[in-house]
Amino acid sequence: MFLARWNMDHTLLGPIDVSKVCAWTIVMAILCALAPASHAVPSFARQTGMACSTCHTVFPELTPFGREFKLNGYVLDNIKQITGIDIDSRSTLSLNQIPPISLMLQVSYTHTGSALPDSAISGALAKDGDLLFPQQLSFFYAGKIADELGAFIQVTYDGAGDHFGFDNTDVRYAHHLSFGGANGNSHELILGVTLNNNPTVQDVWNTTAAWGYPYASSSVAPTPITSAKMDNGAGGFGQSVGGIGVYTWFDDHIYAEITDYISAIPGGAHPLDSTQSNVIQGNAPYWRVAYEQRWDRNSLEIGAYGLNATVHPGSTNGINTALSGPTNKYKDVAGDVEYQYIGEDHLFTFLGTYIHESQTLDASFLNQFSSNTSNNLNTTKLAAEYYYKRKIGGSVGYFNITGSSDALLYPAAPVTGSANASPNSNGYVLEVDYLPWLNTKLQAQYVGYQKFNGQSGNNPSGYDGSGRTASNNNTLYLLVWLNF
Amino acid sequence: MVSRYIVSLTIGSAISLSASIGCGVADSAEVTAATIADAQKTALYRMIKTCGICHGVNGRSISPTFPNLAAQTAPYIESQLRAFKDQSRADPDAQAYMWGMASQLNDAMISDLANYFAALPPPSAGRPGNPAVISQGKRLFEEGMPVRNVPPCADCHGSHAEGTAVLPRLAGQHAPYLFKQMLAIQSTLRVAPAMHGVVKDLDKEQMQAVVAYLESLSNERM
Repeated sequence: MFLARWNMDHTLLGPIDVSKVCAWTIVMAILCALAPASHAVPSFARQTGMACSTCHTVFPELTPFGREFKLNGYVLDNIKQITGIDIDSRSTLSLNQIPPISLMLQVSYTHTGSALPDSAISGALAKDGDLLFPQQLSFFYAGKIADELGAFIQVTYDGAGDHFGFDNTDVRYAHHLSFGGANGNSHELILGVTLNNNPTVQDVWNTTAAWGYPYASSSVAPTPITSAKMDNGAGGFGQSVGGIGVYTWFDDHIYAEITDYISAIPGGAHPLDSTQSNVIQGNAPYWRVAYEQRWDRNSLEIGAYGLNATVHPGSTNGINTALSGPTNKYKDVAGDVEYQYIGEDHLFTFLGTYIHESQTLDASFLNQFSSNTSNNLNTTKLAAEYYYKRKIGGSVGYFNITGSSDALLYPAAPVTGSANASPNSNGYVLEVDYLPWLNTKLQAQYVGYQKFNGQSGNNPSGYDGSGRTASNNNTLYLLVWLNF
Repeated sequence: MVSRYIVSLTIGSAISLSASIGCGVADSAEVTAATIADAQKTALYRMIKTCGICHGVNGRSISPTFPNLAAQTAPYIESQLRAFKDQSRADPDAQAYMWGMASQLNDAMISDLANYFAALPPPSAGRPGNPAVISQGKRLFEEGMPVRNVPPCADCHGSHAEGTAVLPRLAGQHAPYLFKQMLAIQSTLRVAPAMHGVVKDLDKEQMQAVVAYLESLSNERM
């Protein structure tokens, strides 16, 4: 997974060990000292012959040019082709001689504010600090398949889970139309089709779940008990659906898309049955609209997006429920905004999104997975980033999850639960990044929780009823992120 | 008698288009020429859409990172595309953006692109700025700096900065882009010996004044 999985199967961590943090700081400093000119180029760079900085402010965030590249189907290429034509001069093949293959490696170290309990021995503590080598290794085919057809295909080895998986994938066809006007004053329209496995992976602004902030985070630290379906946390649809959609991009201003998803869960029982979780009944439509305005070195996007999903809970809390009868319905409606300033030396980005989710939980209520027949869940995420010459920079983020209390949906449990049945969590993200080369990132991130699973402060019984407090989950995350 | 031949025109370009023409009649030469022309128009259309992502399909870019190309002199566009292709122009944005974009262009495409953008109308109005700075820039442009043997820019680039043959139009160009090029030429990061001799003794304030003046010019054709 390109972004961290919000994995509740966390390893056990202890108090911050300053010597270990210092060791990693020294490692990063040594890497910082080695900074020759950039030469390595991942898939899209190989295909286009263009440096990372043309499509990205700092990876993975896209520039306006990068958004255009994606909306045009990933097909822009500047390398030799293997071509074929028919008797009517139509192209039958246009294949890159060199396949646009690349890799990504993430090595990370996670440390939380206090030790987590041992997973097997009551009263014992787990290890202090967790090194993932790797956190993630990904292989990409990313680029042109044929004229007007391209793909972003990712296969990932997840270090914490110790398994390979089919990750973010977006195959798209894009046709460019020009009409009206002369001498370049025409209207430009892209009509596209996307085939993908993760709602919002196809999006080109960095405000939505698949490519949103923070761009990389710990895959083993504790995280809030729930998130909206559109926020793609645990129980989300990433890599467990297949969708086909159509989109349009008009005059570099207006974007509109509808994509329809059905469940496509890897592994387990096929066809899907009661042993699978969160199985969509029928289809789940996703919609997205956006307006972008560019001037000088600035761009501003304002948009909205949403998802309607009718879901059978299937296997929940160790109980298998049939994929028939009552269902849970999730209706997500969201707004987003992105502002970018891309200067010669200074780059600044602001990202914001708000998701409102209405849950109608007939199936969960019937099976006693929830106390309520309906709940709400609201999510706010804001971030501001600054980079100097794409070499050094940082960001601050804010997140806030508020929702209906529900004792069965959010029960008390050590570390992962909620003693007062509330999912409310909020906090901040602080991050510093150094890029010795355009395709390498050394990152130090700190996530601070002011409220976790319904409680803030230092209630002696903790937010989970077992004494753990919100600040105990504050997370220091050090990352080496390489693309090549 | 039917003569039949197939011409396979493989264009290893940014657009990756191949065209094949089969002819079976006595006026095959006309059909061939027309079909090739159509194919090249299609390739040209796709190239223009690609170039237009940064430079604007109308040749007027939004971000000053990318220069305006509308009404630029065709010989200058051609010379720069060749310089990107053979990598003799090596300033940072040339490497990042244009080495790849120009790598698969052949002479016909270079010529077609240059003629397309050269024929586009420039914007009707320049960009206003600080009057004192623009005035200083205008003086430098028209008079040069005789004490430092800096000739007037107008001598080569035209009295209205409209350009002459391989010497580029500067009127209405993005000031930050021009400033960046002057710095690159001054430091020889961009190799341009004649221009290096002109700008080597200019300070940044003088460069800023000249480029502000040039951006303020309402575009006039040669």
